[in-house]
Amino acid sequence: MKKVSYWAIFKNGLFGENPVFRLALSLCPAVAVTSGVKNGFLMGVAVFFVMTMVNVTVSLIRSFISPKVRIPAYMFIIATWVTVTDLVMGAYARDVYKEMGLYIMLIVAFAIVLSRAEVFASKNKLIPSMIDGMGMGLGFLLALVLIGITREFLGKGSLWGYDILHTRPLLIMVLPTGGFFAMGLLMGFLNWIDRKVFGGTGASSGGH
Amino acid sequence: MKEMLKITLSLVAIFVVAGMIMVGVFYVTSPVRFKAEKKEKEEALKKMAPEADVITEVGKWNIGRKHYDYHEAKSGRRIVAYIATTAGKGYSSYVKMLVSVDRDIRVKGVQVLDHAETPGLGDQIIEEEWFLEQFKGKEFSQLALLKKPTKENIQAISGATISSRAVTNGVKDAVQMLIERYGGGIKVATHGVKK
Repeated sequence: MKKVSYWAIFKNGLFGENPVFRLALSLCPAVAVTSGVKNGFLMGVAVFFVMTMVNVTVSLIRSFISPKVRIPAYMFIIATWVTVTDLVMGAYARDVYKEMGLYIMLIVAFAIVLSRAEVFASKNKLIPSMIDGMGMGLGFLLALVLIGITREFLGKGSLWGYDILHTRPLLIMVLPTGGFFAMGLLMGFLNWIDRKVFGGTGASSGGH
Repeated sequence: MKEMLKITLSLVAIFVVAGMIMVGVFYVTSPVRFKAEKKEKEEALKKMAPEADVITEVGKWNIGRKHYDYHEAKSGRRIVAYIATTAGKGYSSYVKMLVSVDRDIRVKGVQVLDHAETPGLGDQIIEEEWFLEQFKGKEFSQLALLKKPTKENIQAISGATISSRAVTNGVKDAVQMLIERYGGGIKVATHGVKK
């Protein structure tokens, strides 16, 4: 396999193959939890942790998992780490858990986590896998925060719960419909920047 | 055959190890969580009757099949408030609340504990502070939700009518239950009251 620098792997998750804006994976949670910046950020942190741990685990035992049953094995590893996150948050981060508790368990079904285990961690050594998990997790976090900022500012006129505009310019932005608007607009905007500034193709594949 | 055995064993091994990790984490975190939840509940109750020095659970009651508890708040030997947990069905969740009433079974305060109503619309029941404020001092017969400005009854939040109704119904159920248990002389028409 071609030698790739760690920074390139890390950067890939942030920009080149950003989970939401480029790979267009895990869009349902990206819409569901981003009605506010805070929720988006906290969800991003949880996903960051789960992805890093899952990638590390899968990479460690990749020779042990038979290719025929890899998906159930990955799913179980993901479920384990999500449960651990849920239990730890429920005990030590009560304030966060009260707002996020409902959504944490849903991370099990996030396409992006399974896809990175399958595409990257199952074929790479420990350190690159860990870095890929961190990069992808951070990329997801960044995307959620961006969508969260757009939606909360336009929908509620506030950021991180602090009232800034004192009015609600576009209430629809905090509703699920607005989530799709915000995501589509941001995706288009980033593609446009990519084409104009970096001369890239700005392509994105489909997913859910 | 040999491959099948290998696959089975490797999966079982993963499941057993993962299961043990989860059990271990649960074992460590569950007492902490239990304590934190108990403390949160005590603090929420305390907020409903700050003048009381002891709040004790006296029994359970139910709406449909769901069970809730109710408490007596005492200052010295005198009862200052009755507090009940209750809930009302909203747009996308049950709005869980604490309702406290004084000795004449007039509402002293309402506190929302937990809900998952639509952000921006339904969650105004918490963000618009005047809404929960208007329950203060109301007696059972006044707990009716109107869609116009009112001093006598409860005014719904426009854009959050269903969530407003959830709160009103939850409070109403709790107050009715407390009247049945503690109301003594207070007579209420429990039938035919518009919800």
